Amino acid sequence: MKTTKKIILTTLSVFLLQTNAFSFCGFYVSKADTKLFNKASQVILVRDGNKNVVTMSNDFYGDVQDFAMVVPVPTILERDDIQVVDRYIFDKLDTYSGPRLVEYYDQNPCYMYDQYFGIRKFSEAATMSSMDMIEDEEEIKNYGVTIEAQYTVGEYDILLLSAIESSGLKTWLRQNGYQIPSDAEEVLDPYIKSDMKFFVVKVNLDEQLNSGYDYLRPIQISYESNRFMLPIRLGMANADEAQDLIIYAFTKDGRVETTNYRTTKIPSDKNIPTFVQDNFGQFYADAFDKAYKRNGRNTVFLEYSWDLSSSNYVKCDPCATTPPTYAELRDAGVFWTKPNNSNGWGGANYNGELFITRLHVKYDREHFPQDLFFQSTPNKEHFQGRYIMNHPVQGHLDCDQASSYYQMVLDRRENELDELAYLTGWKMDEYDYYVDTYAKKLERSRKDKKFNTGSIIPLNKVFQDSKIKSIVLSSLALLLMTSVYFGSVRRMN
Amino acid sequence: MASLLQSQKSMPTSKLKFPLNLMHFFNDARHFQIVYLGSFVLFGLVFLSWHEDWFKFILFAVTALVIQYFGQAMTQPKRGAWKSALITSLGLCLLCKTNTYETAILAAVFAIGSKFVLRYNGKHIFNPVNMGIIASMYLTNDAWISPGQWGSHIVLIFLLGALGFLVLRKVDRLDASLTFLLVFGGLQFVRSVLYLGWSIDVYLHQMASGTLLLFTFFMITDPMTTPNHRTARIIWVSLISITSFALSNYMYVYAAPILVLFFASPLTPVLDTIWQSEKFDWKFSKSFVELKK
Repeated sequence: MKTTKKIILTTLSVFLLQTNAFSFCGFYVSKADTKLFNKASQVILVRDGNKNVVTMSNDFYGDVQDFAMVVPVPTILERDDIQVVDRYIFDKLDTYSGPRLVEYYDQNPCYMYDQYFGIRKFSEAATMSSMDMIEDEEEIKNYGVTIEAQYTVGEYDILLLSAIESSGLKTWLRQNGYQIPSDAEEVLDPYIKSDMKFFVVKVNLDEQLNSGYDYLRPIQISYESNRFMLPIRLGMANADEAQDLIIYAFTKDGRVETTNYRTTKIPSDKNIPTFVQDNFGQFYADAFDKAYKRNGRNTVFLEYSWDLSSSNYVKCDPCATTPPTYAELRDAGVFWTKPNNSNGWGGANYNGELFITRLHVKYDREHFPQDLFFQSTPNKEHFQGRYIMNHPVQGHLDCDQASSYYQMVLDRRENELDELAYLTGWKMDEYDYYVDTYAKKLERSRKDKKFNTGSIIPLNKVFQDSKIKSIVLSSLALLLMTSVYFGSVRRMN
Repeated sequence: MASLLQSQKSMPTSKLKFPLNLMHFFNDARHFQIVYLGSFVLFGLVFLSWHEDWFKFILFAVTALVIQYFGQAMTQPKRGAWKSALITSLGLCLLCKTNTYETAILAAVFAIGSKFVLRYNGKHIFNPVNMGIIASMYLTNDAWISPGQWGSHIVLIFLLGALGFLVLRKVDRLDASLTFLLVFGGLQFVRSVLYLGWSIDVYLHQMASGTLLLFTFFMITDPMTTPNHRTARIIWVSLISITSFALSNYMYVYAAPILVLFFASPLTPVLDTIWQSEKFDWKFSKSFVELKK
């Protein structure tokens, strides 16, 4: 019996057949002690004009001889269009652009201190998809499949196939030892007819041994095409659950958004309780999941966008790590920046226009029937997933301002718990202590001193929510416009 | 006592009067359009996170009304043209995205300004919203269209279509929308489903774009910038549909219909010369109440 290779179906790619815990692009978010499959595929998209560079991360952890993957590509790639790059670039971009937790310390109301803040950054998390295995040993002779090119690049053997129809391609793949899901055919056909080629990858064991790497490196391809898209449909062929995909997009002009799905911002700039610090990865995973469900499961989320042009001095604020350098951008596939000598935290060692967008998609067959199509907009607005912790003053406060300060902390903490419950859906019962501590402190300080408290008007609380505020204001404005309008109409009549 | 009796008597009358007033209000199709577009702006503000843009929306409206005022001062005043300016600004709120206030103002200036400057034979040449979008996109490189902004809320799409249908009945431009849906939708169906072999939900997702439907029911049916004669209109819309289909499927231009409409607009006066028909007048738009008389 011939040995069969297993093809991994990933985001971009294709039929995947193995049940072991792996996905093709991905990264662990939480620590090893978590039971969550916190994996997501990651892709770097670089585009200027019609030139595209796509880098796909690879965190396959099984036996490398079982690794295989198929990606639809719009053109036949030349040998020089395919590269293998180091995996570090994904970690770098993830750290740079990931959702971040920011902390602020209260000023002691009894003394005057300078306010300062520190920054902590955690990666975000997502769930992993499971992939099924499909066995089929059918053999058919007539395929209509042409091997357009064949290369060995790094530790990979690469084939570029073109096909006339899906059943031929399916058969060819099976004949050559690739197992593919039986329902892949309906998805292959549209790609073949759209004149897509198939980029088929497996590991060259000798080269892999020689490479000295104990993991499979990301593959980077570049091609000319007017299609700015990611084919996600093949990756769904056999996945039961929604899959996570993180996209880092680099363009010259501005923010990248999907044209056939709604792109919306992940909730950001929220005040959350200080205890979330120990569990930030989980917090973000749950907050993402809630936002995903609230938005109908068919929305693409913006997690980060920033102008990285050499002319923009502030390349992140706060910075979780140093902004990408010229060499790192080169590795990510950015091909238009030019090196220069200046070096420093904000000053880039490159020249050129550059904008980064980080998108997070959780997709499944039902809610994402179409591939992802993108457009680059001139929107240069900065955005980041940012969550804020406020640390109260430690120690005993002995002054008249203490009670009003404790009252402020108490109110703030109640709001933080409400916010946390809304963002993540966590049950707040077990966090009663978080406010109780300050309720007690307040009581004690009131006993110590004269009754002295700051009053809070409920309306202020309502207006703290900028969305409610904007809705109320815009409704008022609309009302005003309508009355002015009808007033003028009546006068004219 | 007498006054109490009187007020009791008058109550049923006032109840009856309300729907009649409403009918009277909607006699002018522009009122209907204002309600129609305004409700989508509200939907976006509440459900699609457009609340961040509220000040830009005000700018669109204020600028449009101001330019309309000056435009009218310099030309012949027309009754109720205010309504058109408001409709234009609502259209800009729904379709034109920008991050700066200057661009928002510029879009509204071009939209309304073009109505007074670019005219032929008593009609303006370009659809004002279309003009505002295209001018701000290409003059400033700071405006864009977000075809995906609506998501694919089926209920919303349905309402958008159904309400659009009612507006069109009033302005008698249903043929334009139907032609576009038939030609563009038909070509898309043939390519996506019959030729490429995508399943039907892929096709529905392609067509269920709020921007596309807004174009179909609002922009391409503007009575002032479409050919007056039905035959001319159908030819004109078919041309736009075919070009848009080709551009979006082969060149991957996502805002294709809006672009194509811009370049097809100068054809309207030509078609109007070949097929002559009466120019549309808002005052004579069909009335719901008339039918009941």
